[in-house]
Amino acid sequence: MTSPLPAIAAHNLTLSLGSGDSAVEVLRGIDLKVPHGQTLALLGPSGSGKSSLMAVLSGLERASGGSLQVAGEDFAAMSEDALAAARRGRIGVVLQAFHLLPTMTALENVMTPLELAGMPDAKARAAAELAAVGLGARLGHYPAQLSGGEQQRVAIARALAPKPALVFADEPTGNLDAATGSSVMDLLFARRAEAGATLIVITHDPALAARCERVVTLADGRIASDATI
Amino acid sequence: MNPWRTAWTIARRDLSARFKGLRLLLVCLFLGVGALAAIGTLTGAIERELASRGRTILGGDVEVAVWQRGASASEQAAFAATGKVSGGMRLQAMARAGDLAAPIELKAVDAAWPLVGQFKLAGGRSIGAPPAGTAWLAEGAAQRLEVKPGDTVTIGSQTLRVGGIIANEPDRLGEGFTLGPVVIVAADMPARAGLTAPGAMYRSKYRIALPPGGDAQALAAKLKARFPSSGFELRTRDNASPGAERFVSRMGDFLVLVGLAALAIAGIGIGGGVSSYLEARRGSVATLKVLGATSGDIARIYLLQIGAAALLGSALGLVAGVLVTPLLGAALGDLLPVSPGLVFDPAALAKAALYGLLIALIFAAPPLLSARRFPAMALLRARVSPLAQNWRDAVVPAGLGLLAIAALALLTTKAKLITAWFLGGTLALLLLLGALGWLIRWLAARWPRPKAPLLRIALANLHRPGAQTGALVTALGFGLAAFVTLAAIQTSLDANIAARVPQRAPDYFVLDVPKARGAEFVAAVIKVAPAAKVRLVPALRGAILAYGPQNAMIRVADLKEIPEEAWPLRGERGLTYSDDVPEGNVVTSGQWWPHNYAGEPLVSIDEKLAAALNLKLGDQLTIGLLGVERTARIASLRRIDWDSMGFNYVLVFSPNAIEDAPHNLAATISVTPLPFGAEAGGGSVSATSSPQTPDASGRGELLRSLVRAFPASSVIEVGGVLTQARDLLRQVSLAILSAASVTVLAGIAVLLGAIAAARAARTYDNVILRVLGASRRQLLVLQLAEYALLAVLLAGVALALGSGIAWLVVVQLFAFEWLPAWPAVLGVLGLGLALVIGFALAASLPLLRAKPAQALREL
Repeated sequence: MTSPLPAIAAHNLTLSLGSGDSAVEVLRGIDLKVPHGQTLALLGPSGSGKSSLMAVLSGLERASGGSLQVAGEDFAAMSEDALAAARRGRIGVVLQAFHLLPTMTALENVMTPLELAGMPDAKARAAAELAAVGLGARLGHYPAQLSGGEQQRVAIARALAPKPALVFADEPTGNLDAATGSSVMDLLFARRAEAGATLIVITHDPALAARCERVVTLADGRIASDATI
Repeated sequence: MNPWRTAWTIARRDLSARFKGLRLLLVCLFLGVGALAAIGTLTGAIERELASRGRTILGGDVEVAVWQRGASASEQAAFAATGKVSGGMRLQAMARAGDLAAPIELKAVDAAWPLVGQFKLAGGRSIGAPPAGTAWLAEGAAQRLEVKPGDTVTIGSQTLRVGGIIANEPDRLGEGFTLGPVVIVAADMPARAGLTAPGAMYRSKYRIALPPGGDAQALAAKLKARFPSSGFELRTRDNASPGAERFVSRMGDFLVLVGLAALAIAGIGIGGGVSSYLEARRGSVATLKVLGATSGDIARIYLLQIGAAALLGSALGLVAGVLVTPLLGAALGDLLPVSPGLVFDPAALAKAALYGLLIALIFAAPPLLSARRFPAMALLRARVSPLAQNWRDAVVPAGLGLLAIAALALLTTKAKLITAWFLGGTLALLLLLGALGWLIRWLAARWPRPKAPLLRIALANLHRPGAQTGALVTALGFGLAAFVTLAAIQTSLDANIAARVPQRAPDYFVLDVPKARGAEFVAAVIKVAPAAKVRLVPALRGAILAYGPQNAMIRVADLKEIPEEAWPLRGERGLTYSDDVPEGNVVTSGQWWPHNYAGEPLVSIDEKLAAALNLKLGDQLTIGLLGVERTARIASLRRIDWDSMGFNYVLVFSPNAIEDAPHNLAATISVTPLPFGAEAGGGSVSATSSPQTPDASGRGELLRSLVRAFPASSVIEVGGVLTQARDLLRQVSLAILSAASVTVLAGIAVLLGAIAAARAARTYDNVILRVLGASRRQLLVLQLAEYALLAVLLAGVALALGSGIAWLVVVQLFAFEWLPAWPAVLGVLGLGLALVIGFALAASLPLLRAKPAQALREL
């Protein structure tokens, strides 16, 4: 069931890193509402604040100021541990460098968020999710035994396995060649569509951005443009 | 789902089966726990062996000993009513064979001996007491007197046939420390030889073997209650060899402390290892947080992993500790009263494991808690800076761990004061070394940059971010300082015993000089050794039975435990009387009695004993002397110069208090000139002559003439005792050095861990230097320069700290001269440093082999 509230509602969001003279304003008053089920691309040059905005919206980092409601929860008022708990099962994150746990197999990587969220049948669900991304035969492989594309598919399976309402992908094709990147994104969009999740993709790639319903461009920590395609 | 179960699922999955990354922790705990387990097992094994063989060692279930008299008829009847009895006596005596004479321990036994165990002669013959006119000789006595079975020896006025050489004396250990090899004779021989005249220093011993199920403790208590003034020293089978048990227990306690210090060093390695492990897991921690793991989950996951590694390391250490015990037993040989064999002592192992896990907790807590607090994005961003240690968070677990260690150490030792000092000293030393490490880093950062590039880099490596100089100075400095301390103490004490003690101590102690023949004795000595100084004092033995204010005296028998400082309350002690303050003693309060004093019996006591028992002037002291209670009022307190090494008595009575008791005189003879005035003492007769030093043959002649003229007297040669003391000191030093070497091994483990932790940074440095044109030889020189710099610093720290501590122990604690053998001290330190540099270079060599192109691709 779709909530009447937006998936994300950010108002005057700011983020400062460092302190004193060395403090850097990374986000300077972001206002953003993202409805449920929308696909949104965050564009912008390096250093514009895209990854930082994603970190704040996904609860990986706490905003320095402003308000932030994510899936009805007040992220601005939550502690880091509360944010971690809020992510469980509700927010999936796919990162450019995959960030699989190197000491665990593909199956174990996908099982981990399910177990942290206390979900039953973690193993069966993880195996099904890996089968869905075409890695049914690679369950017992370690990340070092997988190609970059396969690793990213494991990361997608891991992000989507708990059936989150919100998925973030930070330059998911940045470490892949064009053909592999394209197939990985096909997979990500297909799985998202099946789940009906909200998807926010950070990218430099205009072609990838064009696959989203909405494109928000950041510059110098501010929203420079917000266009619905 | 239970968060611990989830954490364990993830922890187990993430943990390499080969514990990759946690091996430093494994090695450190293996070493520390292994050392403690070996020490604990060895001590426990010996104590249990002593306990299980108690009946054999004691020669019965209960032993009753009494000085200078035999048991009365009623006493003997009381013994006989309870079980089978074997009686006899022990005394110092001189044995002669032709021109040779030797001090011996004479053991007279009756036909019932041995009640327990088997006595065997060389050749395997099992036998009991020798028949009249025959003696069984210990190997040492036979060698010294150059006799064999069938020859004769003379003891006192009796000539005895050597019936055999002793192979196994079942109750040898229970007899305690002796001043000569044993000669076993029939029970009535000492009396027939004139060695037990009234006042002679002999001890009667009665062993009682109870019927099966007999309660030895109850019997001892019953005898004590029935004969309160008898002066009985009672021992039961469960306390058969209190001296050996006390020695083993104290030695064990001390070695545990040394092992604990090694474990503390290992703890630094554990901290470094856990820090490196979590540093390498930074990406995993971040990913887990991204996936929804809270800081609590992170702490649980890595606590479980580190706990599993700690348990494995401890378990391996325990196994090694048990397996190494028989080897230790063999290495320590004669130092141990019994051979331990392969044993399993759950209590000792549990204690060692507990120490190990507590140390792991203390040192692993700071990095673990730091990792827990890191936010996910900060972990992803701050890839280059090491995890900041959060000591504030770690104060509670580390503090609780420290308290638990202190409590465990203090609760499981009898030497609580020494343990407390050792723990405090170790903590202070570690803090001092930590501060020195910090200072060295600080100075290295501010030192003018050397012009030579390799030296410049070597210096920079001491203070660069992430440099482990502080940890290395602490870990290696502690071990090396311990080496220096032990070597300096051992060589100093040895030099004192070898050189200084003979100068101060007399050459001979003579017991049982008949009271009426004092002047004759002095003349006999002077005749052979005109330069000799002779001192004679009245010698009696008695036990303190009660003490305190007149109307509130405390009976020693009622004390549950005798405090360490009140050692004179244990058993019988030497007593004397004198008209004058003994030389070398200083009256610190009260008044000495006048000559020919005839009033209320008075006593002067050692001020330390007075302090230990809270005794004041005017209080009373009751002693048991030859079965009779005598009470005297405390008239003065004295400070005793124990270093004078002559006769020193805790209790000195006014002559009218005890001179009527039958007694003999004891004498000291100093043949060599005494530059330190060692003649100090309460002599009633003294004689000196012009300083001439007799040679070895002159000494032999002195011994022979004394034995001829005073056959009932016994001579103790100080030289022999000193040799025994030096042997014991060397063996004890070896045992302590073995335990302390674990600290150096732990320090080396820390060093290897530090090298492993800095591997990526060092590889990067080496590759960049190679790209810039440095040869492998130059890189090797760079490594050498760095470790040589570290070694020089460590040598300085170890030498300064180690010598300082050794000086405190030798000069302040033992009041000996500071006489370390510097070549030996520097040799031990050099050996330790060579080990450090060798291991460091061996661990660094693989880094030099990195190929620049390949490394640059991987970095």
